[in-house]
Amino acid sequence: MSQKPQGDCGDICPEWGCRNKDEYRGVWVVGEVDENGLSEASLQMLTPARKVASKLGTKITGVLIGHNVKGLADQFMEYGADDVIVVDDERFKEYVPNVFGEAVVELVKKYKPEMIFIAGTMRGRELAPFIANHLRSGITADCTDFDVDEKTRDVFQIRPPFGAVLLAYIRTPNRRPQLATARPNVFPLPPRDPSRAGKGEIIEEKVEHVPVPKSRLVSRKVVPRTEAPIEKAEIVVGGGKGLGSAEGFKMLEELAKEIGAVVGGSRKAVDLGWIPHERQIGQTGKSIKSVIYMAVGISGAAQHMFGVREAEVVVAINNDPSAPILSQADYGVVADYREVIPNLIKLVREIKDRLAKGEPIDL
Amino acid sequence: MRIVVGMKWVPGTQSVRIDPKTGTLIREGVPSIVNPHDLPAVELALRLRDKYGGEVIALSMSPPPAIKGLEYLIGMGVDRAILLTDRVYAGADTLATSYALANAIRKIDAEIGKVDLAVFGQETTDSSTAHIPAQTASWLNWPYVYYVRDAWLTEDGKLRVERILENAIEEWELDMPAIISIAMKSIKPRPVSLLNKIRFKTNPSTLITWTNSYMNLDVRCVGLKGSPTFVAKTVDVPEVPRKKIVYKPKDGEDAARWILKSLLSDEKASRALLKALRGSSGGEGS
Ligand SMILES: Cc1cc2nc3c(=O)[nH]c(=O)nc-3n(C[C@H](O)[C@H](O)[C@H](O)COP(=O)(O)OP(=O)(O)OC[C@H]3O[C@@H](n4cnc5c(N)ncnc54)[C@H](O)[C@@H]3O)c2cc1C
Ligand SMILES: Nc1ncnc2c1ncn2[C@@H]1O[C@H](COP(=O)(O)O)[C@@H](O)[C@H]1O
Repeated sequence: MSQKPQGDCGDICPEWGCRNKDEYRGVWVVGEVDENGLSEASLQMLTPARKVASKLGTKITGVLIGHNVKGLADQFMEYGADDVIVVDDERFKEYVPNVFGEAVVELVKKYKPEMIFIAGTMRGRELAPFIANHLRSGITADCTDFDVDEKTRDVFQIRPPFGAVLLAYIRTPNRRPQLATARPNVFPLPPRDPSRAGKGEIIEEKVEHVPVPKSRLVSRKVVPRTEAPIEKAEIVVGGGKGLGSAEGFKMLEELAKEIGAVVGGSRKAVDLGWIPHERQIGQTGKSIKSVIYMAVGISGAAQHMFGVREAEVVVAINNDPSAPILSQADYGVVADYREVIPNLIKLVREIKDRLAKGEPIDL
Repeated sequence: MRIVVGMKWVPGTQSVRIDPKTGTLIREGVPSIVNPHDLPAVELALRLRDKYGGEVIALSMSPPPAIKGLEYLIGMGVDRAILLTDRVYAGADTLATSYALANAIRKIDAEIGKVDLAVFGQETTDSSTAHIPAQTASWLNWPYVYYVRDAWLTEDGKLRVERILENAIEEWELDMPAIISIAMKSIKPRPVSLLNKIRFKTNPSTLITWTNSYMNLDVRCVGLKGSPTFVAKTVDVPEVPRKKIVYKPKDGEDAARWILKSLLSDEKASRALLKALRGSSGGEGS
């Protein structure tokens, strides 16, 4: 498709207001702060931000809004922000989507960044589209990569559309800033460089127009995660519809316990209620980066495989020799999982015994 | 209270076809369904109405086939339904979609009666952006909150909701009118009832269509023209190189042995596996 015609300001929606693209420079990452400090997901956004900023020949500004948040600015810089805008104000003690959103909007109007990255955490997904809309600009959710058209400085926001067979390059040709979110753990945390702390400028800002909140947090109960997140596990075992029942997942859990793995599943397994949505692997679930991924009773649909692209070694167990997963795995076994998994558990226990005794493994 | 609930009519099939030129979905010949994540939203709206009185109005911006989906919601118990449809709305990204939806809500407010609450699904299965609720809230300047799984009214007429985040459960209070989006799979939707279907058959005027000659929106603000983003190009997802070694084992034990042998002779895999096997027994993660 050819480029959409460049509309001049007379030809655009009157609710949008004029934008001069050339006035917008710089890349922002909006920091997400909770009781544990700056969220790792928002620091991960410094990775795509760096890629885009270097292609554009510009710098990265971190944005911190909250109460007693100034102390986090150094951490932002250690992970890659060149400077940090801080709004430290009692009125931002509690996060309220409209209030935080309007604060970012006011800062954007003053500093005019060309690209804003926001982590696609649950709060980020709630906040980002409000900011984009208030600015009457475009936003792309769940990007998996970015590129830059150096001539126009347009950022290609790359994401899999419905189906995950193709990657769509989404572009915002006439509006600024451009906004994008990416799901947590899609991009790695940049290496921490303690020598960067204090190198950049900390710009203390005041927000003039703080709206009276029309919604209030009444209570917040932190529920610590009991299980390891699937996106971070070194070994993942995934179950699909082929397991036939929730019982099948018990078998996978038993294996996972022996090999220090986390269990995930396909969307069909999630839809059947065999495993929670937080552990769905794929385009509309999580992307895993494990060293080993073992897919059990999973056919290998494009949408599922999208989530295991970064897994280093893929093992598949499927009783159908024509299952697509077998041509997308490193090691495929054509067999009924009900015969394979119990034997795997047994063998693994034997190996562990030998290792504990310092004996050689002999298979 | 008067509650508007958003519904998107999405392709229901797993066999997805995409136009390689535009990167958009080929919808012809693909049977569609009500976005599954909208059903909990409809259910919550109906529960609020059943408890506090008022009416629930389903709203969908879509080509005419979505009427089927709106009929389904009427079957569930929605009081009336509005299809927002016009050729000029085609090709909308989420900004343009939310603009039309927000204006429809304003229109409902002005012509049918005061709207107290708009309820949306968490996201759609075909685009899964979760943009629409926040963008609609931005146009209307209403308070909003995502990932709600329960809602009720306080004695002084405020909306209370419980919502669930990755690591927290929160309770919020919102002034009305407000917008909430409902966590997927959090509430079990009721089935369609025969009685509601009959009620609809005898009174089909509960389903109405609003085109742009009625909505009167500036054509520069809707559809493709009102969309700041567009798909510039699409490329194939690059194939991940894999070894593709397939083994047909004699039995389960042979299979297990082969898998472990393969992993232990693979440099990267063996390191991770041995580390896990040497570490304390059980436990999760690395
Ligand atoms: C927009 C969109 C987004 C999607 N997002 C995702 C996503 O994020 N994640 C995802 O997983 N899916 C996603 N899907 C769904 C995807 O297209 C597939 O439907 C799904 O991945 C299939 O799940 P499955 O492999 O478990 O089931 P099936 O395709 O039914 O495969 C089951 C497999 O189990 C095998 N089997 C059966 N019995 C046994 C046995 N005893 N032992 C061993 N093997 C056995 C069968 O041979 C078969 O290959 C999405 C679809 C769409 C349209
Ligand atoms: N065209 C539409 N018409 C009505 N409601 C919609 C439409 N698109 C999205 N929605 C609502 O907004 C929610 C979030 O959609 P999305 O932002 O597209 O992921 C959906 O669950 C619907 O409730």
